[in-house]
Amino acid sequence: MAAEAAHLAEHFHDRETQAHASRLGMWIFLGTEVLLFAGLFVGYAYYRFQFGPAWAEASRHLDTTLGTVETVDLITSSMFAAMSLHFAHKKKHGLATLMLAITILMGLAFLGLHAKEYLDEFREGALPGRYYHLTDGAAPPLRGMSMFFSLYFLTTGLHGLHVTIGCVVLAYCAVRAGKGHFSAEYDTPLENGALYWHLVDLIWIFVYPLYYLV
Amino acid sequence: MSENAPHAQHPSHAPRYVAVWLALVVLTGLTYGLSHVKLGDWSLVIALAIALTKATLVALFFMHLWEERGASRLVLVVSVLFVVLLMTMTVADVATRFEPSTPAGAPLVVPVAY
Repeated sequence: MAAEAAHLAEHFHDRETQAHASRLGMWIFLGTEVLLFAGLFVGYAYYRFQFGPAWAEASRHLDTTLGTVETVDLITSSMFAAMSLHFAHKKKHGLATLMLAITILMGLAFLGLHAKEYLDEFREGALPGRYYHLTDGAAPPLRGMSMFFSLYFLTTGLHGLHVTIGCVVLAYCAVRAGKGHFSAEYDTPLENGALYWHLVDLIWIFVYPLYYLV
Repeated sequence: MSENAPHAQHPSHAPRYVAVWLALVVLTGLTYGLSHVKLGDWSLVIALAIALTKATLVALFFMHLWEERGASRLVLVVSVLFVVLLMTMTVADVATRFEPSTPAGAPLVVPVAY
């Protein structure tokens, strides 16, 4: 009984209620995250209407191959995060930690690939606002292209920040998973950390076609 | 006590995770492939439909909304509803404007920083 009571705050009737409350709290936070990114996507919709041809032209300057690799990388990392929870429930603590380590490594790989993309864009001059100085070929630059890159850097930058935070959160979970803290009875930090990671993946699922595949 | 365990309604599904992952990779390939096909205005609609399908898969199975209880599901539904509201109103406004009413003004008369 002592072990069962260990993770139960006294204002909850049982652990099921407590776990549900913590997940609900996490979902409310994730709801605000969705709305945070929604602002950027609505801005995107507005300017895509205003500058349709410029949008298509600017998108061609993004590295579609890298974008696709990043997408698959994030999707796969999300699966490993889900697997980690699965193994934690089975009390296979070593495997749970390993899955989290793979997830974090894939997150870092995502950041690395994105850093490479940013470097290429810096070199090319595909920059936001008045720093924009893209010159390629004879075609004159189209009005609105710098706006595309403003939104691109804002959205992917904010997303990258979320990936970074996700890596830190999952690293904390990995340490605790390694110590065998999680089980089917108690998994709140791991479950919420994984939820956060899945949301980051979910947002990227929309970023990818909207920016890379115009 | 065991039926009250937090994950009594959360059986773990390793095979399901792999199946969802495969579906996500296939859909990514599909959307990438279709981006090379000239579909005109439909390309955006199709790309968004695929993205929405992928997002639903992630939310339902990776994020366990499939077996989650009502309240948590409701939160996501409500936030998506507000996103849709914000998006439709904005797009409806922009799509129905005529040239002189756009803030950017009529065709370029002033020099603009690109």
